[in-house]
Amino acid sequence: MANLFNTELRAQQEWSWQLALDLFLGGLGGGLFLLYQTIDLPPVFALVSIGLVIAGAVVLLTELGHPLRAWRAIFKARSSWISRGVLLVSVFVVTACIHIAPTITNSSWRIWGGDDMGAKVISVAAALSALGITLYPGFVISASRSIPFWDTPMLPAIFFTQSMMGGCGILLLASAFDGGQGMPQAASLTIATIFLNLAMIAGYLLLMRRTGAPARESVRLLLQTRLRGLFWLGAVGAGMVLPLVLLSVQSAVGTATVAGALLLSGGLLFRYCMLKAGVYLPLPLAGIDLSKLNRTTDQLAREYSGWTARR
Amino acid sequence: MGLASRVLFVPYRKSQPCSRGPTRHWSEMATNGRHTTTTTYVRWGMAIDLKRCTGCQSCTMACKVENGTPAGVFWMRVLEREEGTFPLAQTLYMPLRCNHCAEPPCVPVCPTGASYKRTHDSLVLIDQDKCIGCSACVIACPYQVRFVPRHKTGYHGDQFTPYEDVSYKRWQAGTAQKCTFCVHRLDQGLGPACVETCPTKALVYGNLNDPQSEISKLIRTRTHFQPRAEAGTDPSLFYLT
Ligand code: SF4
Ligand code: SF4
Repeated sequence: MANLFNTELRAQQEWSWQLALDLFLGGLGGGLFLLYQTIDLPPVFALVSIGLVIAGAVVLLTELGHPLRAWRAIFKARSSWISRGVLLVSVFVVTACIHIAPTITNSSWRIWGGDDMGAKVISVAAALSALGITLYPGFVISASRSIPFWDTPMLPAIFFTQSMMGGCGILLLASAFDGGQGMPQAASLTIATIFLNLAMIAGYLLLMRRTGAPARESVRLLLQTRLRGLFWLGAVGAGMVLPLVLLSVQSAVGTATVAGALLLSGGLLFRYCMLKAGVYLPLPLAGIDLSKLNRTTDQLAREYSGWTARR
Repeated sequence: MGLASRVLFVPYRKSQPCSRGPTRHWSEMATNGRHTTTTTYVRWGMAIDLKRCTGCQSCTMACKVENGTPAGVFWMRVLEREEGTFPLAQTLYMPLRCNHCAEPPCVPVCPTGASYKRTHDSLVLIDQDKCIGCSACVIACPYQVRFVPRHKTGYHGDQFTPYEDVSYKRWQAGTAQKCTFCVHRLDQGLGPACVETCPTKALVYGNLNDPQSEISKLIRTRTHFQPRAEAGTDPSLFYLT
């Protein structure tokens, strides 16, 4: 409580594990669905992605102070990224379900034939909303101008690449169940996304080090002080570097499964660290020269002449 | 002349009987302004004289008493900063509260519309019945003056004092809360509790749209700054230096 009364830089306390888990599950689902659409995966992956997105939404609901009022969050899509996120998740769940329904049920249940225009529209809508789900967490947090560490258009891109990396992690985990058939393809995709992630995070942190005191403090929290263990060992070491090494040196199914699990845990830790490293702009008293505040009684009397009497 | 016509047609300087602050007449105009026109007749603002503030935290306490805020929540608080070194050291004080910004970043991020700006007097308020407690507004405010208390916990734990029993009914746990400019008092023609209580009269409030109000005169005659004006929030709060 005492630090509310001083002007030290303060990290946000409001968004924590639950939001990190929501962003993680949602991103994972969106990324996996995009992979399903682009590299011709079995429909079970689409089902898993829908389940992940729904699980993320449920986690978010439990974090809200009043979850039963959450329906109200659909009305402000013109200005609020949270509202847009709610709409994206809703559209995704509906369109993705309709999209995969024909492939997992018998033909008499089909709504559209394979070449039908409607099916294409639904498929595109599902893919676009999945893309939106991977991007919107970055927009939600970069909309906060009060936290300079988040105030950059790089964040949506980073959250997108993190989501794709998470999707790859699921593919690797799944290779344990299909005897490793899809593993080589998943492994090379994973290695590429890990490199991309590492490069983007490094660029982002370098940029933030030069962006002013609050952002520098955020970087310090991540790399050198409170969050350094979680960030270096968890998000970077176990979450990216170790899977990279494992996938590069050995191509066994067991290794891929371990690498997949590590990728997923690293993705969750990364989101948590990003949230907890959000340092607010300094309060107005900081950095303002107030050394000329002292003045004489005469000056005061002149400034307030007439006013004190009326009061 | 009826009130509506007065609001619409009488030049406002003539209809303002007291230049210092709100009177019952002004708050009636504000309430009726909602129905008659979209023009903002009143823009409540506050000037804080940093030369007068002694850091006594009376405003902090008056706000707590008036609004019954829970432990750890301060709609009004006085920041402290130490300057210089012994023997030429001093403490600087700066009262901090919601600035009722003209361009409030807390409003557009709200997904439910619970955070809104009252059109007729520019106050930024929260509809607690709509708020879902997502904290987006807390994060978006560059002044760290919003709070989302998750539970109703008194100063002595779950055992409420008789005062807490009554005052805690004014807010809902799990929703955002912040300074309301004592809107319940303004609407009765009274001034904000912090202003009324300040022993050094460091706080002055009034209508920024009225060039004859005391606050407008002070802003014209004194050097001043708006907190974090560079953030584009156009705060209705002026620190006099
Ligand atoms: S000070 Fe903060 S809470 Fe108050 S209106 Fe401005 S942005 Fe919103
Ligand atoms: S906490 Fe309440 S007022 Fe703040 S953004 Fe969320 S819904 Fe709106």
